[in-house]
Amino acid sequence: MSLALTAYGMVGGLPALAPTENPTADFSDTPLWLALVKAVGVFVYLLISTLLVIWFERRVIGRMQQRPGPNRNGPFGLLQTLADGMKAMLKEDITPAKAEKVIYTLAPMITATMAFVAFAIIPLGGTVWMFGHQTPLQVTDVPVAVLLVLAVASVGVYGIILAGWSSGSTYPLLGGLRSTAQVISYEIAMGLSLVAIFLYSGSMSTSAIVSAQSSLWYILPAFFSFAVYLITMVGETNRLPFDLAEGEGELTGGFHTEYSSMRFAMFFLGEYVNMFTVSALATTLFLGGWQAPPFISAINDNMFGGGWWGLLWFTAKLWLFMFIFVWLRGSLPRVRYDQFMRFGWKFLIPITLAWVVAVAFIRGAQLGFLGDSKLTFAGRELSVATVVIVSIVAVIALAAAWIWDDRRAQRAAAEDEAPPEEIDPFEDGYPVPPLPGQRLVEPRPRLAAEPVLSTASSSSAGGSGASTTLKEETHG
Amino acid sequence: MTSSAEAAGFWILAPIAVIAALGLLFARKAVHAALGVALVMVILGIFYIMQNADFLGVVQVFVYTGAVMMLFLFVLMLVGVDSSDSVVETIKGQRWASLLLVVGLAGLLFFTIGATVVDEKTVQAGIDKVVATNADPGNITGVAELIFGQYVWIFEVTSALLITAALGAMVLAHRERLTPRITQAEWAAKRVRDNRDVAGLPAPGVYARHNAVDTPALLPDGTPSSKSVSRVLVARDQVATTDSLRDVERHMEREIEEGGAK
Amino acid sequence: MNSYVPILFMLGLGFAFAALSVFTSLVVGPKRYNRAKLEAYECGIQPTPQAAGGGRVPIKYYLTAMLFIIFDIESVFLYPFAVAFNKLGLFALVEMVLFILTVFIAYAYVWRRGGLEWD
Repeated sequence: MSLALTAYGMVGGLPALAPTENPTADFSDTPLWLALVKAVGVFVYLLISTLLVIWFERRVIGRMQQRPGPNRNGPFGLLQTLADGMKAMLKEDITPAKAEKVIYTLAPMITATMAFVAFAIIPLGGTVWMFGHQTPLQVTDVPVAVLLVLAVASVGVYGIILAGWSSGSTYPLLGGLRSTAQVISYEIAMGLSLVAIFLYSGSMSTSAIVSAQSSLWYILPAFFSFAVYLITMVGETNRLPFDLAEGEGELTGGFHTEYSSMRFAMFFLGEYVNMFTVSALATTLFLGGWQAPPFISAINDNMFGGGWWGLLWFTAKLWLFMFIFVWLRGSLPRVRYDQFMRFGWKFLIPITLAWVVAVAFIRGAQLGFLGDSKLTFAGRELSVATVVIVSIVAVIALAAAWIWDDRRAQRAAAEDEAPPEEIDPFEDGYPVPPLPGQRLVEPRPRLAAEPVLSTASSSSAGGSGASTTLKEETHG
Repeated sequence: MTSSAEAAGFWILAPIAVIAALGLLFARKAVHAALGVALVMVILGIFYIMQNADFLGVVQVFVYTGAVMMLFLFVLMLVGVDSSDSVVETIKGQRWASLLLVVGLAGLLFFTIGATVVDEKTVQAGIDKVVATNADPGNITGVAELIFGQYVWIFEVTSALLITAALGAMVLAHRERLTPRITQAEWAAKRVRDNRDVAGLPAPGVYARHNAVDTPALLPDGTPSSKSVSRVLVARDQVATTDSLRDVERHMEREIEEGGAK
Repeated sequence: MNSYVPILFMLGLGFAFAALSVFTSLVVGPKRYNRAKLEAYECGIQPTPQAAGGGRVPIKYYLTAMLFIIFDIESVFLYPFAVAFNKLGLFALVEMVLFILTVFIAYAYVWRRGGLEWD
């Protein structure tokens, strides 16, 4: 009941819905040339972020592995990525003889291009003055913005599958297929997890979702969606521990085995920009987007909240996710492919679907679809329907968790049967070390084996003694 | 009726769409044809958006370009990289029947489209209605009200269609396992139980001069171990012999002996 | 519709950057012909004339793609439902639960038959 109350408190504080689902950002004072300027700005922001994040990743992983990481080119090695990029450009661009030339060139371009497109609808800050126009710090916003990101991602998969297919080689083909199956499998769970956000915000436009979070970030009422999104976004971007497409032990380089020079660099760039895109979407949907964190927004009537300040908070939250990506890579081993697919199809999808239904019921109760009667509890007026629904969901969740845990405990118990208390240290003629808590059977003098054995089997307790006798006889 | 920007967009994209659609018919390779269709789908999505149907446009890209085309690509890849169309008639009279159906469809389309009254006023009223819906409850809400109101029955039937799809896929593509799958742990246990190759099979190519997968490992007595090479390579007759390497080895041994004698 | 034009800007920028980089490296990079270099990658052995299985895909992936479509379409219906939820009312909620349950039958069937097993 207390859990249900907390849950109610969390979801009860949501602001009233906007009258329409359309974007709240006002683009009426944004001429097309200014949109182009903003697009160039976002593009440069992404390129610089990519240069930085590759350096950041190598440095942080270096720290995690007790080594310095790149520190030669520029201050703190900051220019390392730039140097690597330049070097990639000056290398020979090899097209294998068996490759399908046109598609082979097109595939990395599709990946890189599609990675950039989705960032156009991410709000990076509040409304600012730019060249004499008042405009939101966002390239554009549309009523179907979040869906657009998913659509662009599904086009981006073409880059991977076509690269794998067009290389005319075994490893790329297998890597491309694996990668595609992986991305599409996790895209479903990702898409389903976002439904809870739309239920709360009543809109798919990113600016409307951000402004709907002004009093409460959706990470609290949609905590489960956040967890699912966090897992799926790693699966979507083919990053460790889910980088099965590039499992070098089994597939060499995966779909980009045959690629070299700048065409390879485009896949690399695409991967990192995709990481930024999914992180930016997570920031926008769950962490209040560009809005200042709760305590800072309370300072002096949110003086650090509006305008260009938004860019700072947005970037900070974005890099929080980038750090999580790096952290995961530094600490987790790669999962096996069948484990990965099983987790996606048999766990994430059904449980996310159940969660979406639960949120729909909670939301329906809040909006008064299930009756309007109220009750007062601890000085707060609660709707009976919401309390009942939240309690039912909580009970079901607890029961499911309990059954799950019970089953696992049973399986674990079945797996490790208690080892026998006594152990023959020389069973089957090989030396066998005892497990902790096991007693050793007293070694018997070899010559007196026959008569002593018969007394030992009668004195020792139960069947284990008898079996020991048998074994003694067979090898003796 | 249409804004100039919309007209310009249409006249740029429509020819591309037509060329891509023709690519489906005339492309030599199946995958090129599939890519042509994907391009047509994207452009159709853009057309929908240009007609103020935002949700429909994005869903067109999301579902058709994403899901359906992925399926299509997978199916095409099932038949192999350089499969080309076979012109053999598998069903008798198929060509004539399909020609008849094509003529029928063309006639149907021609007369249906020809019979449509393109009345400027009606069209304008329709556009105004869409624009008004997009402005007030919003495009997606408008679609939702239609799906969950007027067309609710069709929506529910769609779920039955999806069941059919799953059933069909299982019947066509699923292969039942006859024996239970042996897991990695079970393999390891089996090796220990049988006491054969307990430490795993020997790795290929542990010879100092060569480490390729087709080079068998050498046993302590110098004979190649047949266990160390994948049986696929054996079947393809691709296993490298170690004779040449042994000559090198003897040469080196001689050199070492000479060095020791000096 | 105007609000979609900046997305095209982004698309153009991304494509221009990708095309320019690839083109530059083609011009700037060295070209030294070597037959072995142009062969498909292999672990030290002679590469097979074609990719594995003649570049053909296991039929297993067909099932994955089909299941993906099923759930994709389900989520496409869930989106307008979620966005317009506050205007639709209880009736839509019941409809949606029925829809999800029906699709879940397909899911349960595939699971039961072992369509979700990977090895």
